[in-house]
Amino acid sequence: MKERTTKAMAQGRRRMLKQTAALGAAAVAAPYVLRSAHAQSNADVAPYTQAKIDWKQAQGAEIAVAVIPASYFDNLIAIAPTFEALTGVKVRFEKVPPGQIRQKAMLDLSSKTATYATSATDPMYYPLYVSNKWIDPIDHYLNDNALTDKAWFDNDDIFKAWRDANSYEGKPYAVPYDGEVTIQVYRKDLYDAKGLKAADTLDEFLKNAAAINDPANRVYGMALRGFAGAGQNMYIYPSLFREFGGQWFKGRKVVVDSPEAVKALDWYVNAESKYAPPAVRNWNWPDIADAFSQGTLGCYIDAHSSASVLMNPEKSKVIGKIAYARWPKGPTGKRCTSIWNWGFPINAALNDKQKKATWLFITWAASAETQARTSWKFNGPAKRTGLNRASLWKSPDFVAMTKDYGPNFVDAALTSLEQDTDVDWRPRVPQWPAIGDTMATAIQAALVGQKNAKQALDGAQARIDQVLKS
Amino acid sequence: MALFLPALVVLIVTTSAPLVYLAWTSLERIDLSMPWLSGFAGAGNYLQMGADPRFWHSLWLTLIYTVSTVVLQVLLGLGLALLVLRIPKGQGILRVAAILPIVLAPVVVGLFWRTLVLAPDVGLVDVVTRALGLPSYNWLGDPKLALLSVIAIHTWQWTPFAFLVMLASLSSLPPDVFEAARIDRASAWQRFRYITLPLIRPAIVIVVIMRTMIALSAFAAIFAATGGGPGTATEILNLYAYRTSFSELNLGYGAALAMVLLAITLAVSFVMFRARRAR
Amino acid sequence: MTGKRLRTVVLVAIAAVLLAIWAFPVLWALLTSFKTERDVLAYPPTVIFTPTLRNYADVLFGSASLLPNLLSSVIVAGVSTFVTLLLAIPAAYALARLELPAKRASGFYVLATQMLPPVGLIIPYYLVLQKVGMLDTYTGLIVIYLTFSLPFAIWLLVSYFEDIPREMEEAALLDRAGRFRALWYVILPQVRGGIAVTTIFVFLNAWNEFLFAVVLGGNRVRPVTVAMFNYISVEQTLWAKLAAGAMLAMAPVILLGLIAQRHIVKGLTVGAVKGGGRRA
Repeated sequence: MKERTTKAMAQGRRRMLKQTAALGAAAVAAPYVLRSAHAQSNADVAPYTQAKIDWKQAQGAEIAVAVIPASYFDNLIAIAPTFEALTGVKVRFEKVPPGQIRQKAMLDLSSKTATYATSATDPMYYPLYVSNKWIDPIDHYLNDNALTDKAWFDNDDIFKAWRDANSYEGKPYAVPYDGEVTIQVYRKDLYDAKGLKAADTLDEFLKNAAAINDPANRVYGMALRGFAGAGQNMYIYPSLFREFGGQWFKGRKVVVDSPEAVKALDWYVNAESKYAPPAVRNWNWPDIADAFSQGTLGCYIDAHSSASVLMNPEKSKVIGKIAYARWPKGPTGKRCTSIWNWGFPINAALNDKQKKATWLFITWAASAETQARTSWKFNGPAKRTGLNRASLWKSPDFVAMTKDYGPNFVDAALTSLEQDTDVDWRPRVPQWPAIGDTMATAIQAALVGQKNAKQALDGAQARIDQVLKS
Repeated sequence: MALFLPALVVLIVTTSAPLVYLAWTSLERIDLSMPWLSGFAGAGNYLQMGADPRFWHSLWLTLIYTVSTVVLQVLLGLGLALLVLRIPKGQGILRVAAILPIVLAPVVVGLFWRTLVLAPDVGLVDVVTRALGLPSYNWLGDPKLALLSVIAIHTWQWTPFAFLVMLASLSSLPPDVFEAARIDRASAWQRFRYITLPLIRPAIVIVVIMRTMIALSAFAAIFAATGGGPGTATEILNLYAYRTSFSELNLGYGAALAMVLLAITLAVSFVMFRARRAR
Repeated sequence: MTGKRLRTVVLVAIAAVLLAIWAFPVLWALLTSFKTERDVLAYPPTVIFTPTLRNYADVLFGSASLLPNLLSSVIVAGVSTFVTLLLAIPAAYALARLELPAKRASGFYVLATQMLPPVGLIIPYYLVLQKVGMLDTYTGLIVIYLTFSLPFAIWLLVSYFEDIPREMEEAALLDRAGRFRALWYVILPQVRGGIAVTTIFVFLNAWNEFLFAVVLGGNRVRPVTVAMFNYISVEQTLWAKLAAGAMLAMAPVILLGLIAQRHIVKGLTVGAVKGGGRRA
């Protein structure tokens, strides 16, 4: 190899030297970069000290909290110095992408490493966590007067549906911090022009979609999440399944291929193939919200929190043209919305002092005051709408904050939260991860036409039987 | 030997120990969603594969994926190299362009293709097909197209590798052989078939070997582009093992799948290296 | 000679198409990174728009700045490359000088370690790092990176060492220079090119790694390939920022690729061109 001349070598060395120099420069710059501007907001702790507990009882403890990158957690992180000042507990937040947070939490929980004192948790995972004894029941924390001032914290004010979703076999395991419900979001201007009103039944929903649908002009009647995933198509389908009268359990057996299930899936497939953009089978809700914000959709059913994206003037072309309504009724007359919240459980592998510190953190985060401070009182552009308490939803400040969202926003979401939730929305069993994944795969196979609804669900049933029997 | 030792120790500690752990896990029944069933399973996990259609499906996809991407890379790479060799100027800039896909992280490549190239409506491919008057296709949403798409993504990223190897190999061939052949009035095809091909065979062989190994262990790009979907349409063995371990939390079975993948990769490369040495 | 000219034109055209296919996704991302979110979503996609630097400003200096992550990447990739070379050079040298059967066996072993499916390794790695308290530390992640970079580096370097005529080495040994000195003064200068190639590839692989970085890293150690995904939040996807982040994440490797392209080509073709076959 004659090419390796001395010249090339010299060049190589110079390059190495340059790299080393760059490394050195970066290292020097590091402290500057890493020092985040922590403008200590000397926020008032008075509203918290009204609670008749000793906030300093776990002073000196250090806890780590895993959350996902989302503005509602960013707001919490931003005001966390108040918590540290109040309790003397040090909190370290770690933002983990939503695709990885369960993995990392479970690696931590199953190896009992106690890396995370608590992590933002998907309610469907509590049965799994509980059967492995990875998390502590929280009832004794709630009932311990030294740890919780019941009058001040007022646990019953937190939405019952969310508390139920965070319970398993009668015991609570986590406190909801933020959550959402699915509602209809529609273009009031388009509906008005055609003399339509928000659908009250699934049939009307399709009729509305048919009336609005005009692919030639890039307007589609509706869209529902179609992407495969326990939190995507398996987030929409369970509502349909329940509204068509489906039951997840026959005795202890999980049944997913009942006639009602097939009807529900058929409805889903039919709606998506007739009135949705062709790409919808690959869409998760941000894609749907993006499409709606560009004026390409007449209606969609998804989380109420997506409204904040539609209100972003940098992106949206539909500001002021939106209205909201509850889920349309199914053939059985039932409305069924989603139950979703990010709750905070307590890692069972912590020591006692850390557990106390974690509980203090959780009650601080879920308290009415912190909820308000991360919402309308928050000093920043993104204000949370996933508040965990009915009293806050009804407060004039919250209503005032959301008045620009369009007609009926608070009313539709709040009524859904209080009346349309159903704790059996999805099958709550420890094997949910496998069931959710299997169902998501089957639903997508039906949506893309790989299989018909019956075949897809029969296939899913066979796999679920195999998973559960063994 | 003292020189080899430090590296050897590091290697053994960092790779063999986890391998033993993996092998052991594959013999156990560990399903986090059913902790009450945990225990020693012996060959149970392996026996379970026989009756698991999803396993056979993923194996079949692995075969299709590996063979098609390797063949495409070699054919395209070789064809392009032959073409480019005749271009008097601008080979340099082509080489630079070819480097581009190679240096990118597969996970970024997968993401790129999903969001910017293959996305319906706003994706590059859709813009082009519609400009040509063709209908819009759902490249990653349709099961058949999705498999094609992930093959295309892999081929896009790694054909430059084959191309560069072939180009270098071709440019190092002695020109006098071709001169002689031309004087002998051999046709272009004959010159290629009887002179060029045998001369660059070693290059082709090494490309095939290296690309096969990489294709067998492909993960990040598919993971970012389709996650194995839609349904199981792009779920090669690696993805299936991942989903079993991390979505379904059946760690024992996932480990067994990973062991099978390792065995296949080792066997294939062993056979290939053998064949190469024998020649 | 119009026929010949025509052929040249056709060839150049084909080459141009190739160039476009290889470069376009990257250029398209570059374009996107200068758009506003609204322009990104514009239909039909537009090439004419008022470019904005805001995405870069946000990505670099905004609340979710990528600068610490870039630093993370530099440290992880840089140090792991350095350590890899430190261990791989003597190992490759020894391997190249071994007798055949042993060489084949160990050569194949080195190669085999490269094929371990990362999917199966994550859990054991996590457990081990946790036990020694090295989760989310640079040391931890760098050690893990050695598992794939070291075999690769050894494998690549061996072929360069094999090129060195034994006589040269023997002469050095006769000079009563010790083995290490022989390696340092006589052998190493001969394989500088190989070392450069190896450095580049090891660095690229470490920079581009994703799976281990997600699971074994954390707040303190989060390379840019992972941090980038924060622009796809559960609330909304910030396409333009994602593109800007991706461009930043890729800029170093693209730059490295362009500067060192000659070495890269050489690295890719090592063994292939000279007909190889001697490597186990």
